[in-house]
Amino acid sequence: MAIDSWVIIVDENRAGGMLDAARRLGGRVTAAVAGKRDLAERAADMGFDQVLCWETADGVPAEAYAAALAERAAQDAPRLVLASDAPPARVLLGAAAAALNAAVVASVRAVAAAEENIVVSRAAAEGKVLEDIAVSGALAGIFDGDDAEQRGDAAVTVEIVPAEAGAALRVLSTEAESGAAGLLTAARVVGVGMGLRARDDLRIVEDLAAVLGAETACTLPVCDDMRWFAAHSVVGSSHSRIAPTLYIALGISGQPQHMSGVRDAKVVVAVNSDPEARIFKNCDYGIVGDLYKIVPELTAAFAATKNP
Amino acid sequence: MKIVVVFKWARNPLDARVSADAAVSWPGVKLAASDDDPAAMEIAVALAAGDEVVGLTIGDGDTAWAAARGAARTVVVTGTPGEADSAATGAALAEAVRRMAGVGAVLIGDSAWDYAVISALAGRLGWPAVAGVTAAACSEQGELRVTRRLGAAIQVLAAAGPVVLAVTASRAEKNVPGMKEVLAARKKPAEKIAAADLLDAAIAYRVQTQGTRFPDTPPARVIDGGDPRTACEQLIAALRVEGVI
Ligand SMILES: Cc1cc2nc3c(=O)[nH]c(=O)nc-3n(C[C@H](O)[C@H](O)[C@H](O)COP(=O)(O)OP(=O)(O)OC[C@H]3O[C@@H](n4cnc5c(N)ncnc54)[C@H](O)[C@@H]3O)c2cc1C
Ligand SMILES: Cc1cc2nc3c(=O)[nH]c(=O)nc-3n(C[C@H](O)[C@H](O)[C@H](O)COP(=O)(O)OP(=O)(O)OC[C@H]3O[C@@H](n4cnc5c(N)ncnc54)[C@H](O)[C@@H]3O)c2cc1C
Repeated sequence: MAIDSWVIIVDENRAGGMLDAARRLGGRVTAAVAGKRDLAERAADMGFDQVLCWETADGVPAEAYAAALAERAAQDAPRLVLASDAPPARVLLGAAAAALNAAVVASVRAVAAAEENIVVSRAAAEGKVLEDIAVSGALAGIFDGDDAEQRGDAAVTVEIVPAEAGAALRVLSTEAESGAAGLLTAARVVGVGMGLRARDDLRIVEDLAAVLGAETACTLPVCDDMRWFAAHSVVGSSHSRIAPTLYIALGISGQPQHMSGVRDAKVVVAVNSDPEARIFKNCDYGIVGDLYKIVPELTAAFAATKNP
Repeated sequence: MKIVVVFKWARNPLDARVSADAAVSWPGVKLAASDDDPAAMEIAVALAAGDEVVGLTIGDGDTAWAAARGAARTVVVTGTPGEADSAATGAALAEAVRRMAGVGAVLIGDSAWDYAVISALAGRLGWPAVAGVTAAACSEQGELRVTRRLGAAIQVLAAAGPVVLAVTASRAEKNVPGMKEVLAARKKPAEKIAAADLLDAAIAYRVQTQGTRFPDTPPARVIDGGDPRTACEQLIAALRVEGVI
């Protein structure tokens, strides 16, 4: 049985991963874009079977199109609707879910068709396990599985859906957080936590970052309590989310509020003196050891390799 | 403005116990306030500017929580279906809000513990909704000014009520109510409503858990740093294979 899906898109984050996930159901996959036209064009390039676009007017947030999007969802009646955890995407998903009388499931990692059901796999217990849930009706899922590079052969034409945004929500201002730019796009980041004992010791961290051409970042208490970094250097759920290819966490325990900020990093390395530290369950490579011994050695070792 | 704050509607995933066969249990764990709940409460009290703040929760959460932080009374929805069915929880909360007259805003902690309830609640109410909210205030014209984080940007929105705001905290609660506030809070009115009285029996989302399993992602490769030089060499060799250096 082929099951048709919608993927709600407000930015490019995980759009390819959601398309890839929805494809497993074998049906048509429609991109429901609330944003600027070029975002919809990029979705078309990814290989969606259909691209609908609620083109956001200047000064109007994506959420203002929730009712319009939900109305179309009710007409098209997809069995599955996916959205990322971006705040506007979650609001649009909720509207579509209500219109479709759909079950709503968060932390979705994958979906599969099983006879008449959709079986959704979601992360539970802080990602320690996956729970498989069979849904016999419509399903709206907040997807936080892996992103995937997607490229279609023939781009479909974007269908602009004429819609009233209403006057309930207006954007008054949008300001990029100053100072964060380098960190947000960095390919390599060295993060420092409360395992560092003194501000002067930041030197060994900076030496490592210099050898790697990496940006530095920190956990919340290193900024809030120690004041060694400005707020724009904090990585985590309530601050910056980053996606470097390499993240090296030094003296960081690995609390969920911090780790959700590096979920999209390709490789996470942790250096922590406590073998029981949570972060060892949440990284790709770990060294159990005193950062004061490991970091200088690591810097020397990277410096000795040709193209670190 | 009359405000409803939805609090303590989820369980902290960190409290889950996972056994060797990947089964999840919650021994003695109650619905808890997330880190975001106090932030929602704080904004609510400021926005209400003296008007009524009503706490709304589900299950057996402590009714004194919102009352100790400024709510005049608390409504508890009991008998909501299990955790897997966030749509029904959201629908029940929405219906409870709908039965209160004159609500200008619903605030809820934008808790990553269960984003699904937030989406479902906002969708069922059908009100304009904003998530990721870090601040909100009333302008002189009585219009809501909502600040939220959007990626690396800070955005300010104007919102005409009634609205749903999902509030995200950036730190732990500063002024946790003391014993005196909590004792006083216990004297404030609390009303129970059964979910069955709120939900149309037709709202059945037909979800069935098939159990839990461990993800097939390999565990981290943890290197003993007893000999720092060897450990670093091993790490660098591995990072080369990964292609990140
Ligand atoms: C509402 C809210 C929002 C939050 N948002 C964020 C956020 O966005 N980002 C964020 O980071 N946090 C956030 N937090 C805080 C978060 O919960 C954790 O408290 C924080 O991430 C812990 O920081 P840490 O790992 O540096 O410190 P700790 O938890 O104290 O860990 C320090 C680690 O260093 C190790 N260590 C000690 N000495 C050494 C040594 N010599 N060598 C090696 N290792 C050593 C220890 O074993 C320990 O694991 C938030 C909290 C709240 C309540
Ligand atoms: C920012 C923040 C984040 C939190 N995150 C979590 C979380 O992730 N997981 C979690 O399980 N809990 C968390 N909590 C704790 C949670 O809010 C509750 O305090 C806890 O779950 C107990 O709930 P309660 O409703 O019984 O609390 P309350 O009603 O506040 O009180 C619990 C009991 O303690 C007594 N009490 C309260 N205050 C005092 C005091 N000052 N002195 C003496 N006795 C007192 C009360 O009489 C009552 O019997 C967090 C709290 C805060 C402030």
